[in-house]
Amino acid sequence: MLDTQPATPESAAPTAEAPDTPVATLRDLRVSLSRDGTSSEVLRGVDLDIRPGEVLGLVGESGSGKSVLALALLGLLPAGSAPRVAGQLRVAGVDMVNGAEEERRLARRESLGVVFQDPMTSLNPTMRVGQQVVEAAGSADEAIRLLRAVGVPEPERRMRAFPHELSGGLRQRVMIAMAIAGGPRLIVADEPTTALDVTVQSQVLGVLRRLSDDLGCGVLMITHDLGVAGQIADRIAVMYRGRLAEVGPTRRVLNEPRHPYTLGLLASRLDFDTDRDSPLRTLVPEPAGGAAVAGCAYHPRCPLAVDRCHAELPGLPELPVRPEHSAACFRAEESRDRLLEIAHREAAAADAAKPTGPAEPAEPVVGDATAVEREDRPARPGVVLATTELECRFTVRDRRGRKAPLAALRGVTLDIEAGESLALVGESGSGKSTLLRVLAGLQKATGGGITGPTGGAVQMVFQDAGASLTPWLTVRELLTERLRRPRLDRAERHRRVVAALDSVGLPEATLDARPAELSGGQRQRVALARATIVPPRVLLCDEPTSALDVSLAAHVLNLIQRLRAELGMTVVFVTHDLSVARIIGDRIAVMYLGRLVEIGSADELVADPRHPYTRALLSAVPGLDVELPTIEGEPASPLAPPSGCAYHPRCPVATEECADTLTGIQLVPIGPRPPGPARTAPPSARRAVACVHRGEI
Amino acid sequence: MAALVAGVETPTRSRLPRRHLVGGRLLNHCLLGLVGLVTLVAVLAPLLAPHDAVGTSGQLYAGIGSPGHPLGTDGIGRDLLSRTLLGLRTSWLMALAVVALGLLVGGIVGLLAGAFGGWLDAVLMRVTDLFLALPGTLVAVAVAAALGSGLGNTFLAISVVWWPYYARIVRGEVRALAVRPHVEAARMAGVSTPRIILRHLLPGVVPSAVVTASLDVGSVVLVLASLSFLGLGQSAPAPELGADTSRALPELLTHWWIPVIPGVTVMLLSLVANLGGDAVRDLIARRGR
Amino acid sequence: MTFRFFGTRLASLVALLLVLSVVLFVLQEISATDAAAATLGPTASPEAIAAERARLGLDGPPVGRYLDYLGGLFTGDLGTSFRTKRPVTEDIGSYLPATLELVLFAFLLALLLALLFALSSTLRWRGAGALRGLLFVSSTAPTFLLGIFFLIVFYQQLDWLPANGRASGGAATDGPTGLLVVDGLLAGDPAASVDALRHLLLPALALAVGPALAIGRVFRSSLRTTLDAEYVRTARAKGLGERAIVVRHVARNSVNAALSMTGLQIGFMFAGVLVVESVFSWPGLGSYLGASIPVSDFPAVAGVTFVLGAVYIVANTAADVLQGVADPRVAV
Repeated sequence: MLDTQPATPESAAPTAEAPDTPVATLRDLRVSLSRDGTSSEVLRGVDLDIRPGEVLGLVGESGSGKSVLALALLGLLPAGSAPRVAGQLRVAGVDMVNGAEEERRLARRESLGVVFQDPMTSLNPTMRVGQQVVEAAGSADEAIRLLRAVGVPEPERRMRAFPHELSGGLRQRVMIAMAIAGGPRLIVADEPTTALDVTVQSQVLGVLRRLSDDLGCGVLMITHDLGVAGQIADRIAVMYRGRLAEVGPTRRVLNEPRHPYTLGLLASRLDFDTDRDSPLRTLVPEPAGGAAVAGCAYHPRCPLAVDRCHAELPGLPELPVRPEHSAACFRAEESRDRLLEIAHREAAAADAAKPTGPAEPAEPVVGDATAVEREDRPARPGVVLATTELECRFTVRDRRGRKAPLAALRGVTLDIEAGESLALVGESGSGKSTLLRVLAGLQKATGGGITGPTGGAVQMVFQDAGASLTPWLTVRELLTERLRRPRLDRAERHRRVVAALDSVGLPEATLDARPAELSGGQRQRVALARATIVPPRVLLCDEPTSALDVSLAAHVLNLIQRLRAELGMTVVFVTHDLSVARIIGDRIAVMYLGRLVEIGSADELVADPRHPYTRALLSAVPGLDVELPTIEGEPASPLAPPSGCAYHPRCPVATEECADTLTGIQLVPIGPRPPGPARTAPPSARRAVACVHRGEI
Repeated sequence: MAALVAGVETPTRSRLPRRHLVGGRLLNHCLLGLVGLVTLVAVLAPLLAPHDAVGTSGQLYAGIGSPGHPLGTDGIGRDLLSRTLLGLRTSWLMALAVVALGLLVGGIVGLLAGAFGGWLDAVLMRVTDLFLALPGTLVAVAVAAALGSGLGNTFLAISVVWWPYYARIVRGEVRALAVRPHVEAARMAGVSTPRIILRHLLPGVVPSAVVTASLDVGSVVLVLASLSFLGLGQSAPAPELGADTSRALPELLTHWWIPVIPGVTVMLLSLVANLGGDAVRDLIARRGR
Repeated sequence: MTFRFFGTRLASLVALLLVLSVVLFVLQEISATDAAAATLGPTASPEAIAAERARLGLDGPPVGRYLDYLGGLFTGDLGTSFRTKRPVTEDIGSYLPATLELVLFAFLLALLLALLFALSSTLRWRGAGALRGLLFVSSTAPTFLLGIFFLIVFYQQLDWLPANGRASGGAATDGPTGLLVVDGLLAGDPAASVDALRHLLLPALALAVGPALAIGRVFRSSLRTTLDAEYVRTARAKGLGERAIVVRHVARNSVNAALSMTGLQIGFMFAGVLVVESVFSWPGLGSYLGASIPVSDFPAVAGVTFVLGAVYIVANTAADVLQGVADPRVAV
């Protein structure tokens, strides 16, 4: 559609525009940025219109150029990277490429609003938020009105707060209040919810959607998650390596995508219908180097690529009989059917290969992996790791910088069975990571008991794989370090290291690389190889995929599942994302403010949540056909958890009793007793919930 | 302010990419070579000096370029080139020694405090903070004055006030590294504590410590010269750059080169040290990328 | 800013002064000169020295002597100079105003130069690069060389400015503040003030160059960091003018690093002033110290160190408090 349209006639004055004139027009926009003296083209010809009143979801993985597009729209490309801009870019009638600086500044002041990803760093830390809103709004009264409009409670009082005294959700609302000041024609929101908790994310998305409808302004919603875009966008534009791959109305793009990349993204996206029993569908990983390629940038990864794709750059034509829907692919018409075909073939092949079992027998456990009991009391048969009334408190500095006691764990009783995989789910402040660190022995519990293996028998994979690998050591050094205890000769050690790398799918050539030379996915693989080179009994994973793009995350999750099966490990996996938890966990445990609120088998818990908080959490997971839920409040600060059931101030079914209940915070088994004699069935197999309603809601 | 602000570079105005010095590496290596040359001259000064630095040569107030005395002679006929060479030797080697000792002591204190934390950290850092909160150079003056004149005493006086800077920096770096996941990951991997400190912490601290130290040599040269100028160095007639200037001050308006030459030598030493420090910083920053 | 913030800063101020007194006491103990012998001179008999030791209380246990010393500090008694045979407090009292005037003026000059240096690279001026180069090269020169250089150029060659002393002729040094520039204005004698300023200029400049570069560098780099901060990007996105951005968002957030460097540099200035004073025959503490060191007059040295050290500690506490004013996160 965009290519076929004649170029918009340049209107002399913004006021002369017709109501349907796009608020932003991009024509063949090209942006080059340089880093360390080498220049690279980040945007390679983007054509796009943003219309008044619409929410346009711009979706892409890291490196797609979506944030650069946002900065270009604002005329704020970083001067330090010597940007060179070509093509046309008009926002509200102002030329943001060649216009006078003063003109562009006025456009930012009057026609543009922006919401950046991290509200903590995007607000001036030494200025009261009220003052910062006033800068955009003009007067204190208007600022208060705006703060109220975006749902900041007690705006008069908050005006005097400094950013570090507000919660993450409130900070982002303050950013939004500044963005809508003066009635902008376009709001640019660059991953506005990525730094927020999932229940808060849905609130912020709701605010943005409502404002777009009320104010009639266009919203450019930049996100890496097709699900988030699906929830609030009218149209979706998918970006790949600086070009648009596909543009169209939200339903069409999500339900009937035409570009192989969109199809791949959708296939590797996790939701509650994803098949748990077979490996996740993955995209071919991005070729190393990221050098410029001729033809379609996606062709090295595309299963449908033909000769033409190598040589020629596809345009972005509107699809026949699909008005408004365009895809930059020569095989757009047949892509969907052909990809489904390939997927079926692969699935069949995988099924045929299944009975062979683990490729190689698990290595014998060596070194200090011989289990050392932390307590003399042996764990119950079948249970490898158990905690009773585990408590963990430490002193931290609160938002005003005063010392304050923080109870990260407030009585956690949990049995983890040998060989099972347990997913711990919760928002920030839930204590899930603290629990994992206590299990790992990195943090001392201040109360309660813990039984289970220690030392090398427990290994951990960290959230930021790059940071968990010592930057100046080579992969070889990092891996051999774990083989020091039993004295092995060089050849044997080398063999083990290569085998470990091979098991995570890395070539031997990786041995002499340092972490900085590896990609994000490769680093997480090295971290996994280090954790499993001496097979541990328990593998602890702290959000190992949350920093990765969708397609890479699927690879890593598959790898963890495979290693677990091959090595017979118990896995404890911390995540904030219930759809990941459902894939990786046999059981899911949900935490809120230092306590377990619900635990049960993954399928059951997702299909039939019994705790109001689990429900809220489930409804907040962005999905393709999921409406934005209404969830009250933000997670309370763990510095001052509410009394009784900590969830009661946000709970839609709370009764008076909830505020001071003692029984309502205990996990109580619910549902039918598992079949068979009670002795053989492990006590942990049952569904349990901590709620005064006992799951009857 | 308005006039000043009007010229602020706007972020969107496209600007030529910062020109990189062609052969910036070569330049850096040349600067380091210069530092090496100065060190060599300092070490070999007694051999290079054409005359006895203390004894008189008979010719008084010889000007610059006099035959046999390229830098002239002073009021009692001592050869200024020889005195300058030997003064340079003292200044330069002592500055290097002060920085090296400071780095060693401060590095160990900072590493221990940062790596172990807890009460050890608290005690060591309280002591360090005390030293830092006192005016270092003044304390050095008092220490040197209390101990009496002499090379060793001056060295001690400066070293005492110099190490806390390094302890602070190293400790800060170690703390920042110690909370990084890679240290916890190493601990989980069963790496022993000494190995964690030596392999997973120390290499991360060395670059910034070395950069700080090399940028510091120039300052130490200046402080040493000031102490010597105040009479807190070797006693006369030993050749010393600061003291030589100080003693020749009354002759400034009549025979300007006598006080100026040692002062300019100090300046050149400090300049070479600063340029060398910048080169070290640049090379390390490049290696890090 | 909380009461606790002030309280802790005040407590550490007192603690630091105590530590300084301990350090000086210990140094006095280990210093080579015996106070009694030095007071009485080389001809005194051993008996007389022993009697003098008893009179001065030098026989008692160290703790008792320290408490005496501390008590002396409280009552303003810094001991007696071996050289002048007068109370050190009195000596310092007569030399301190000259030094303070010089340091104060040099400090203001250093701040001004630092500001020029920092802004000259952020804002674009003609000749900014030359100014930066000049400052860099002159900061590698020892203070005394700068002083000598200024003397040769501005006094000997150009004869623009005077070479030594605080004022031409016998200026009255008994004004209410002891600072000649101020006293001149107070007495309605602007000519005296101008004369004092002309005398101040060269020594102050020699003293200011090093600290100016150190402060300016730190301020410049924190300005640059702040200009790249995300909240500055937010401010630009709001469409604020550059002036509003620099004044409201950048300046306050960059000033902290410069403030702590300023505190540190005051210490270096107190050391530098000792050198500068002897180059310009400035009748201040530096000249007093310069005369005391060769004769091992330790009470005088300790007295000067204590007074200047105390000023330094107070100035640093002030810088600390100012940081709390600039950044609410610091003031806890």
